[in-house]
Amino acid sequence: MLLAMVALLLSVPGIAARAEDGDLSKETKACLKCHDKAGLEKKLENQETLSLHVSTKAFVESMHNKNDCEDCHSNIDSKRHGKTKAVIKSKREYSLSMQGSCRECHKKNFAKYEDSLHAALVKEGSKEGRKDAPLCADCHNPHTLGSVKIIQPIAATPCAKCHEDIFKAYSRDVHGLERIAKGKAAPICADCHKTHDVKAASFGDGIRDSCLACHKDVVSAHQGWLPNAALHFEAISCPVCHAPAATRRVNLRLYDSVAKRQVSEKTGVPLFDKRTDAADLKNVGLDERALLSLLKEFNQDGGQGNTVLRGRLEVRSGVEAHQLSEKSKAIKDCDTCHKQGAEPFQSVTLTIASPDGRPLRHGIQKDVLNSLQATESVRGFYAIGSTRIKLLDYALVLVFLAGVGGPLVHMTIKWQFRKVRAKVEAERVAELALANSQAVPGDRRTDDDASK
Amino acid sequence: MHKLYINPLPVRIWHWTNALGFVLLIATGLQIRYLDLIHLVSFRTAVVAHNWIGFVLIANFFLWLGFYLFTDKIKVYHPELSPTKYFRASFRQMQYYGYGIFRGDPNPHHVSVYHKFNALQSMTYQIIMMLVVPVQFFTGVLLWDVTRFAAMVEMFGGVRVVDTVHVLFFIFFTGFIFIHPYLASLSHTPWAHFKAMITGYEEVEDEPEQGAASR
Repeated sequence: MLLAMVALLLSVPGIAARAEDGDLSKETKACLKCHDKAGLEKKLENQETLSLHVSTKAFVESMHNKNDCEDCHSNIDSKRHGKTKAVIKSKREYSLSMQGSCRECHKKNFAKYEDSLHAALVKEGSKEGRKDAPLCADCHNPHTLGSVKIIQPIAATPCAKCHEDIFKAYSRDVHGLERIAKGKAAPICADCHKTHDVKAASFGDGIRDSCLACHKDVVSAHQGWLPNAALHFEAISCPVCHAPAATRRVNLRLYDSVAKRQVSEKTGVPLFDKRTDAADLKNVGLDERALLSLLKEFNQDGGQGNTVLRGRLEVRSGVEAHQLSEKSKAIKDCDTCHKQGAEPFQSVTLTIASPDGRPLRHGIQKDVLNSLQATESVRGFYAIGSTRIKLLDYALVLVFLAGVGGPLVHMTIKWQFRKVRAKVEAERVAELALANSQAVPGDRRTDDDASK
Repeated sequence: MHKLYINPLPVRIWHWTNALGFVLLIATGLQIRYLDLIHLVSFRTAVVAHNWIGFVLIANFFLWLGFYLFTDKIKVYHPELSPTKYFRASFRQMQYYGYGIFRGDPNPHHVSVYHKFNALQSMTYQIIMMLVVPVQFFTGVLLWDVTRFAAMVEMFGGVRVVDTVHVLFFIFFTGFIFIHPYLASLSHTPWAHFKAMITGYEEVEDEPEQGAASR
């Protein structure tokens, strides 16, 4: 009985690892003595209300339970704290000021974060007013935090706060449902998008490598039934087939064929929007000529002739990328893409990566994919059937008509000449008979027969 | 009339394998390219069949090449080295098909064992067999596994260029498949050349003066 109770206690998350109140330092206990009061808060300069409440219970269960308050709040003067009024402009400014404390202990993760899209957005925010880009404390409440990877229920995952629509889609797709049913065995945000070094999902090969990290045998499994499987893996993102309800598009990316990576705009030199807008004054999408001259422009300054367009099929939104279905429902029908007028080819976009990896896009007229003039610019992207060059279709019809019509015309003329041929033949036979009669005068019988 | 053995067995095997293969390649090629218009077999079946038939025909091509390289029959492909003679013969042949044949004029080309092609055929077949067919097979192999041959595909200008060349020659072969049998029917009887490609023996008309000379 006792053993069973111990086992039960150990199986409850948090309990086994929990530090007791008694493990807290004298200083921390002193802080919590005041701060563990519900409703303790402070009015900030921008009229926001900052909660100052720290639950002792939550803190001792958190991953920071071995830390003292002063480890992070080192700027607090214990003699004056609570007696003088500290001025804090806003929650955001306070969180920003605390970032350094996180770096003190979490150097590696902080370095990753600084290189991430989230940090890039924070930097961008300092200039252009993007005030919702995540800081450490936006994802990790320092006083209560547990491991982000084992958060239960999944809706409490911090990513869901900003990426609400995507998270809703995820929680209903094959991964989300499995996560709810089986817990850690199924992937949640960080498993595919990484945690601190999160990049733009559409950059490079996107999330494909994350898919392949778990679904190891899929390449060979696809090779068993899918012709040119390797090419499909290269040119099509997984959700295109595995999120059957999604809408799709062709993404023509500016790509460096020598460095083998997607072209990014240089920081501080925004050319893409300027050039695409100039080439598409009516904003109806670039045509094949505009596309070709745009490509030449990118090759002239810095591209050194290495900039090409690399096509890729992808779903149109992040929400749709998180509508993954069970394997049995994935698209296996080649007609989905290899038919003229197929849905994925009705939307075409040109993309360059911004310095932080996010895509900058401009529309391309869908007919470009069927144009002979685009053979050079869209040289690396071709889907049999759906992006076939129209001019070749006309050539085929013409050759077919010539192949059938030519012999028919020839036969008709030959038939119309039948009387001429009979006449010529008769004359020839007569000439032959005459020649024979002159050569062998005595042989009258043959001549007579021939004349008949 | 006398008979000449002008189509040895390897040539006949190659020819009919090629004929059937090309018809199937054209049919599956049409199915692959025009999935919206043709519904004979599924896209995947058409692609897989197209690939296999392609490889069979590549092997078949080497049967043809081997036969002609290792026998004296290669003489049938020897070009006429005198341009004057060649163009005169070609012009006469064109004149025959364009006019003389209607009047019942005799074919200016006289078939013999080492001279079975007329001037037009000789040139056309050499271009087809040494340029068009190898390029078609080559582009076909590149398209069969674009990733494996990515460097080469890129060298030739990308998958779109390789495919366009493949389709252009496919269009050529589609025309050829109609024109070739028709021209083959323009013998002294409509089936004479077809029979010759089955039995190997071509019936050749006796020319009075030639017949006398050969006896």
